[in-house]
Formats: sequence, structure tokens, C-alpha cells
Amino acid sequence: MDDTERKIKQFIVDEFMPDVSVDELDSDFDLLTGGVVDSLGLLQVVAWLESEFDVAVDDSQLGPESFRTVEAIKQYVEQAKETSSA
Amino acid sequence: MTGLYDHFAAHADRSPEAPALIWEGETISYGELHAMAEEAHAELDGANLPEDRPVGLRARKSPRAIALVLAALRSNRPFLLPSVELAPETLAKLFAQAGASRVLEPHGPRSESTSLRAIGDPSADIDSDEPSHWPPAEGADGVSFMLTTSGSTGLPKVVPLPAEAVDRFTDWAAEQFEIGPGRVVANYAPLNFDLCLLDIWTTLKHGGTVALVDQDKATQSAYLAELVDGAKVDVLQAVPMLYRLLLDVAREASRDFPNVKHVITTGDKIPPSTLEALPELFPNARFYNIYGCTETNDSFIHEFEGLADGDVPANVPIGKPLPGVKTLILTEDGPALEGTGTGELLVWTPFQTRGYLNTSLNAEKFGAHPLGEPELTYYRSGDIVQVHENGTLTLEGRADFYVKVRGVRVSTQVVEQAILEHPDVVECAVVAVPDELAGKKLHAVIRREPDSKLNSLTLRKHCAERLARTEMPSTIEFVTEPLPKTSTGKVDRKRVLAQLEEMSHAHG
Repeated sequence: MDDTERKIKQFIVDEFMPDVSVDELDSDFDLLTGGVVDSLGLLQVVAWLESEFDVAVDDSQLGPESFRTVEAIKQYVEQAKETSSA
Repeated sequence: MTGLYDHFAAHADRSPEAPALIWEGETISYGELHAMAEEAHAELDGANLPEDRPVGLRARKSPRAIALVLAALRSNRPFLLPSVELAPETLAKLFAQAGASRVLEPHGPRSESTSLRAIGDPSADIDSDEPSHWPPAEGADGVSFMLTTSGSTGLPKVVPLPAEAVDRFTDWAAEQFEIGPGRVVANYAPLNFDLCLLDIWTTLKHGGTVALVDQDKATQSAYLAELVDGAKVDVLQAVPMLYRLLLDVAREASRDFPNVKHVITTGDKIPPSTLEALPELFPNARFYNIYGCTETNDSFIHEFEGLADGDVPANVPIGKPLPGVKTLILTEDGPALEGTGTGELLVWTPFQTRGYLNTSLNAEKFGAHPLGEPELTYYRSGDIVQVHENGTLTLEGRADFYVKVRGVRVSTQVVEQAILEHPDVVECAVVAVPDELAGKKLHAVIRREPDSKLNSLTLRKHCAERLARTEMPSTIEFVTEPLPKTSTGKVDRKRVLAQLEEMSHAHG
């Protein structure tokens, strides 16, 4: 697990599932279907991503698909970083 | 018109030796029970109680208790028959509300003395600030039984039943389940339950035999099996728990009950695992689910066809209306449902009360409806039903349990069911808590098995396979203490919610 992934998991666990340990949360677990993150929770995730990774999230990209799993969030962050550094 | 007591007395005259009751392994004949009832009546008569006022009966199930009810029926006097398990204060309030002139209890189940016992000082016994609601605004005319609902909060509601309504019901039940001389009907429910209108009062009106289950032994499966077998029971009506208990014995001793001809489950949803095992337990029986409540008595019946061939419905149909029963199903937007679909069930039965004794409770439950048949007073069941293509109905849940979460209608009951399917979950409550942004959010409180490792993530995985996303709880809380319960032993969601609200205030 790389640093970004661990940070994302830690945030989700702290915010939404305090009784769960980071290691239990699989990267491909569907956070939306599992009811962990709902549409309002999504806004929390986005706000955190923006401050933590210093990326800008365009409202038009705010589709739930980008944030369905930890893996998807990680990819989103990595892409956003590349775009801003390019 | 001759009522229940006259029919009973006529059977006693014609066949005094015929068995009326089976109690603790002994048989009480119609002649004996009749004599007991007449004695109790003579005493009731001699007490010079006001003619126009009800009496209160504090009667735990026994032959004497049944004789006491018969005596009250003989005197054409309304009588309140509440649960003897209620707290003394609650009982006093109920008796006061019913305007009871005296509270009577049978003097020992089989004692030589036949005297009725007024409990303590009759005026003290009904001493309560609770105002009397007698006579009922809808008319005291012909009221006989007054039963109480098993409300989860507050005082149980008093439901006066006109003698004519009881007569219509007992005649329907006798015909439907072939109850008459030579037939044995088991009585599992406590004496104050509406179910007794079928298993005790229909049977005694029509000359059959009632095999009484002793309330103190109602959870002892060996005792129950012995009673069903020993008394040669023909008709069995009970909540699903009885069948579960009988199954336990039957599986251990590989026995069955070939004498039983009609098996009725009622009062609660029967689990599929119990339902599918019934044919093996009762190889010669027909199987029914009956739907009803104290206010309307039974209103729907479903006969299971093909249980033995493995045709076991997951969601048990409540079936079709009894003869004479009128229904109205209101969809969420207001109009009446025609054809298939979902809505709240309103029902009128020939067996129903005219309304609660406390008329202030009637507005939200009883009334005519512009979309229904004029002149009928419908009862709002609070049950959401689904109408299927063949006209059969299934229960979808209680209207009270439907909440709107982000604009979507969700049944907290459905969510609870899904959570309870997890083997590590002992009990749970799902409540809708106010949320600033979402309006309402679902919160689940779960007690898990003591050594369980279940956490919110594993539970969410479990639920995701069973629930729609809108039904998924937003927050999940695990507790170690048992959840608060109602007087009938069900999880008390109102108190769970109240506790949560207290906590959130305490934390600012």
C-alpha cells in the first residue's frame, strides 16, 4: 500500500467507520454501494482531497464513479497531480 | 337473538357429559362448567352491582376464569378482560377508564369454594385519577367483551366488542374450521387475547372441547407436545413460536401430530424455516395464515397449498378477505389502489368494534372514507400491503416504519430484517435521525454476539448484498447492552430514538 492509498483509507476510516482498522478496508470495496460514503459524504471527501493533496476538483468531475473505491480516489488524485504539475 | 351463553347452556343441557375443557390432564364436562358458570352468575347477581356499568375481570386462564367470563356473558354485562400481567397501577387505570363497578377474580382455579373474590376494597381497587370513558360515545348497546390492545407505549387501548359482532365471528370460525361437538381446539393464547374468540369462545358456543395451555408452561416444548397429542387436538391456532417449540421436540424424538386437521399461524410473520417444516409435523393438516387485530378481529385468511411439495413463500401472504370483509387500499399519493400495487390497508369487518372506549383515540384509526363504501367505518390498519395479480395480499411493513431519506421512501423494518440475517447480530434497531442536510438519516444500533468481530465494514458488505443504496444505514453503532424493549418484548425503537436524541443534546 503506498502512501496516498494509506492516507485515503485512514481518512475514510476515521470519518466514516471509526470501528474499522485501515487494513480491513480493501482498495476495491465499493464505498457507495456499501453505504459508507453517500452524496453528502462525497463532498467531505472532495474537500479533504483538495486540502490534503492540494488538487483542485472541478465540479463537473464530481461524478460518483471517480470516488467509488479507494483505488478510484487514488487514481483521481494521481491524475489531478500530474495535470497540475504538467 | 340468542347469544354465546345461550348456545353454551343448550349444549350443556343436551350433553352434560360432553367434554368442555381439558385442563392439567383433567376433563371438565359441559355440565360441570355450566354449574360453575351458574354459581358465579348467582354471586354476580347477588352483588347488586349497577346494571348499566361494566365489571372488571382479573382472570388468569383456568376453568374458573372461563366460568367467570361465561357468568358475565350470562348477565349481559359488559366486562373488561385485561392482561393479568400488567402492572397493578395500569390495571387500576384501565378498570377506572372502563367505568368498572367492581373488579372480580375467580377464587382459585380448582378450589372447592366457588366464591368470586372482589379484590380488596372495590372502591380502592379502581382508585385512579383516570377518568371513566363509559359509556362509549358510539353506544354501549350490546357490548360484551372489552379487550385491550397491546400498545407498545402508554396505556393499552380498550376495545369494546358488541355481542353481535362476536356472534358473527364465532359462527364464521366454527364453519371455517369445522368446530363442534367431538372436536378439540387447543388454546395457546392468554385469556385476554382476541385469539381466544376463536379457540375458546367459538368452541364453547358450538359444543367442542378446548384444550387449555397453562400460561406458566407456554414455553415448555415437551408439555406442549404432550398436550397436543394427549388431548387429540384437531384445531391449533397460535403465534409462530408454538410451532417452533413443537418442532424442537418433534426433531429430537422424531414424532409428529397426525391428529391435527387445521393449523393456523397468526399474530406474527412465520419464518420460512418454521413454515416449511409444518407438513412433516402435521402430516394430515391444512395450513392457514390469519391476519387480524383486536379492533377488527380476523380480516384475512390464506391457505397454504403445496407446503409439503416445498412451495414455501418467503413472504407469507395474508391472503384474501373473510366473507363480508371490505377493504380499501390507499396509495401514498391518496387515491385508492385498483389492481396491483402497494398501499396502506383500510379494513371493515362484520366483527369489528364501533371504536375505542376512549373516543379521543378514534380520529386517526377509525372513520368513513370518501373513496370507500358510504356508511362503513373503516379501520386504518397501519400496514402497508402489496396486491398481487391473483388478488392475494402480502404485508410489506408498518406504515409507521416508513421514513423518507433524501426524498426516498424507506422501511426501517426492511433494513432491520437485512441486518438480523447476519448470524452475529443478536438484535438491532434502525431509526431515522434528523440530519441538517439530508433531512433524515438512517442510524442502526446493533447488539452483536459477545465474541463477535463484526464491525461496520463487514456489516455493510453483508447489507450491500441485500439492500438498495437508499436503504443503507448512514451510521452504525455497536452496543453491548440489550436494547430497550416494549411490554410485549419487542425492540422499542421510540426509546432507542429518544436515547439518541438525549445523547446528541448532551454532546452539544
